[in-house]
Amino acid sequence: MKAIIALSILAVLNMFFGVRKMKKVLLPLIFIGLIITMILNISDWGKSVHYFNEMFIADNFSIAFSSVLILIGILIFMFANIYYKGVERPLEDIYALILFAIIGGIVMASFGNLILFFVGLETLSISFYVLAGSKKFDIASNEAAMKYFLTGSFATGFLLFGIALVYGVSGSFNLEAINTYILGCNGNVPMIFIAGMLLIFIGMSFKIAAVPFHFWSPDVYTGSPTLITAFMTTAGKVASIAAFYRLITIAFISLHSELTTTLTVIAVLTIIVGNLSAVYQDNLKRMFAYSGVAQSGYLLMALIVLGPKSAGILLFFVLSYVIATITAFAVLMLIREERGTFFIPAFRGLAKNNPVEAFAMAIAMMSLAGIPPLAGFMAKYNLFVLTAEGGYTWLVVVAVIGSMISIYFYFKPILASYFSEGEPQHKIESSVNFKINILVLSILMILLGFLPQVIINLL
Amino acid sequence: MIFSKYLFFILSFIAIYAALKVLISKKPMHSVLYLTLTFFAIGGHYILLNAQFLAVVHIIVYAGAIMVLFIYTVMLLNLNIQGEFPKSRLAKFASAIAGGILLFTLIAVFRSYDLKVLADPSLNQIGLVKNLGKILFQDYYLPFELSSILFLAAMVGAVMLGKKDIY
Amino acid sequence: MDGTYILYKFILASAILLISLLVAMYSTLLERKVAAFFQDRLGPNRAGIFGIFQPLADGLKLFFKEEFMPGDADKFLYILGPSLTMMIALLTSAVIPWGNSLVIGGAEYSLQVADVNVGVLYVFAILSIGVYGIMIGGWASNNKYALIGAVRAASQMISYELAMSMTIIAIVMMSGSLSLKDMVEQQHGMNWNVWYQPLGFLIFLVCAFAECNRSPFDLPECETELIGGYHTEYSSMKLGFYLFAEYINMFISSAMIATLFFGGYNFPFMDDLHLSHNVITIIGSLVFFVKIAFFVFFFMWVRWTLPRFRYDQLMRLGWKSLLPLAIVNMIITGLVIMIKHHL
Repeated sequence: MKAIIALSILAVLNMFFGVRKMKKVLLPLIFIGLIITMILNISDWGKSVHYFNEMFIADNFSIAFSSVLILIGILIFMFANIYYKGVERPLEDIYALILFAIIGGIVMASFGNLILFFVGLETLSISFYVLAGSKKFDIASNEAAMKYFLTGSFATGFLLFGIALVYGVSGSFNLEAINTYILGCNGNVPMIFIAGMLLIFIGMSFKIAAVPFHFWSPDVYTGSPTLITAFMTTAGKVASIAAFYRLITIAFISLHSELTTTLTVIAVLTIIVGNLSAVYQDNLKRMFAYSGVAQSGYLLMALIVLGPKSAGILLFFVLSYVIATITAFAVLMLIREERGTFFIPAFRGLAKNNPVEAFAMAIAMMSLAGIPPLAGFMAKYNLFVLTAEGGYTWLVVVAVIGSMISIYFYFKPILASYFSEGEPQHKIESSVNFKINILVLSILMILLGFLPQVIINLL
Repeated sequence: MIFSKYLFFILSFIAIYAALKVLISKKPMHSVLYLTLTFFAIGGHYILLNAQFLAVVHIIVYAGAIMVLFIYTVMLLNLNIQGEFPKSRLAKFASAIAGGILLFTLIAVFRSYDLKVLADPSLNQIGLVKNLGKILFQDYYLPFELSSILFLAAMVGAVMLGKKDIY
Repeated sequence: MDGTYILYKFILASAILLISLLVAMYSTLLERKVAAFFQDRLGPNRAGIFGIFQPLADGLKLFFKEEFMPGDADKFLYILGPSLTMMIALLTSAVIPWGNSLVIGGAEYSLQVADVNVGVLYVFAILSIGVYGIMIGGWASNNKYALIGAVRAASQMISYELAMSMTIIAIVMMSGSLSLKDMVEQQHGMNWNVWYQPLGFLIFLVCAFAECNRSPFDLPECETELIGGYHTEYSSMKLGFYLFAEYINMFISSAMIATLFFGGYNFPFMDDLHLSHNVITIIGSLVFFVKIAFFVFFFMWVRWTLPRFRYDQLMRLGWKSLLPLAIVNMIITGLVIMIKHHL
């Protein structure tokens, strides 16, 4: 709650300074604000405060995921000045929209009521629609915004219809009350309730880009400005999966055993289709879109087997995914700036001239692929163990096969930068700051790989 | 009241007929106007449920603001070209099946549930201004306030997209 | 719901409809007379004494004009436009309290057709859909001047609606009710809202001009730029409907101003006269009509005194002056109410 208030004030202040054309103040202000927000957010740890009539529940789960979202904000703003290097304008509106999206995400991670959930989801989505089209004279960006908006609002329609049906039958928007209603039915839940719940699931599957509701994601993620793509893939996924987890574990927990079939089918399809499609991509941004689809599949696996540790594992998975993705996108941004392309050949000879960038990229890609001993490996390992313990061995087999396929495409840029033959391309100038940033992130990925229990045992 | 029962059927008929015409009409302008008619019919349903405040606000917001802007856009863009979007036969077939299944499921689901009947909807007090205000500012205070952030985001976005800078 | 009740409502509604039409009819004559007065002319004086049959003559003329429809017009919408304008203009009169109640044979008959408990919002709903008639007509004519006129009308009405509603919110905050009847009751005697809300009254007045598309805000039908604006392609009685609806709107707007800010049917010293309830009601209704007549005259006075605004000036006035002022007015009202509440 404090985090939301702090972020709203920050966004408004940021716009105020932006209107006054004080470009130099903006980024430091946002950094200080985000760090204060992080502290305020963590200050509620362990208290499990319920705000406003069970509307907003700041339990450890929501605080952890909110912190990840704020961390995403910090990382994105870290690379904002690199992406928007030549822009004269203070860009306060884009920054404000990113902050608004984070607010929406925090709401999605901490709601206790379906109405609040919907408001948070819309805040996140509307900011995303606009951000996707923020490169206004680029036709790909326009296309991305339009496609995202049309399909996204359609999915929102499904979600809202689902909420309406669930409310109509159970008579409450409160998650606990819905669970009480299900328990009161004694296993005889009306079909209309199930229909509503499935419609909500369709909406959520769209938001995390799970197959078969993933068709928007390649075009949207390719067309959007790269910094925004990095933000959307991470923040969107974290917020949506947190909301999905809350919905399943609080409201629909009593129906969980009947839901697993649906979730398993979606997860399997998502892993297979995402990984297989990513193999054929030469455009790295598009490849990231498809690999993001595959990662959603892994995230869904955490919802299928619910154990005492599944929240912690989900958090760890999300954290490793966020750090690796943002690092990779940071390097990608730099290369696109210099070489003007997202295709693999742009990475040729990167290791010779820019060892730091090549190293960070390699670590990020290996973490995403799940190579030991990096963070991504430990995340996948814990997740697979959890799933296997729940009795879904064949699902684990599918997931492992998916991971093996993913090694092929995740290694493409690494191979290009380290082992490619032919003339290496010229050196890319980058600031010391940037190098330190990506190095720190790479070290973080390695460290997390050694200490996964620290994060997992948080929840 | 037998009278309001007939009103219900008349309003429902208008709402569904107009909603269908929104899809069928060839001219975008007609579609928009039929959509407005649908909103009016739904506003009538609110009045039957004694939710006068909701009814009036529904008309003000949807018919008075949103649809006017819609018409505005249609008028300015002059979308009067009688063109069909190129759709493959397969896509039409698939969408018909998918939509049909959804419709079928929903109808089946609604039939399977015995909906509770309100004794007299005209005695319903929840849609009056006082009750609605109390609920909004007590139970649903947080979503109400947070929607201001939602609107601010939408407004900032609209202004941003309207500017002429590259970013 | 017995027969008397239905009969009484029917008679009341028809009476109000007739009065609205009659007042609008004679407003046209008044307009010409006022214009003549301001321009030092005589004005129409041939049809009847002082030209009192002039509106009838005008109406007859319009009826006998050639019906004309542009070839490429959307037939249905072309006819729908003026009809809708006329209908919507007449709808508002249902919730305006034209007078207090009459007591006949022990039964009380209110002089208000429907005391809706969201009366003010009902008026706004009607206002906000009022633009449909103009937009449909302007678009269906398939003429660029008409289209531009319609677009102008739409954006003008949407812009000024906002400031108008904000002032109304201040009044609603004071009265604590959305019913127009309650609002009028609270302004008993000389306790009129205009003393408490002078700024709100000014904003409302300016917005009412813009909502009625009256000069100095009559850009949708600005002859010098747009020939005739949205009704360029209309002739005969369809044109008559558009023109007539404008006068009805003016009448209704004046009635709203009188109701919201000038105490409606209340007049000073109404308790000191010691007359019977029915007599007070009748005097009150007459006073109400005098107030309305004054504002109708004021509308015309402004029209023949002030020049027309430029379009960007109009938008700037609406968004950058009136809307912030209305918000400030609302905040001050809220603060005062809060302070009074805590004292």
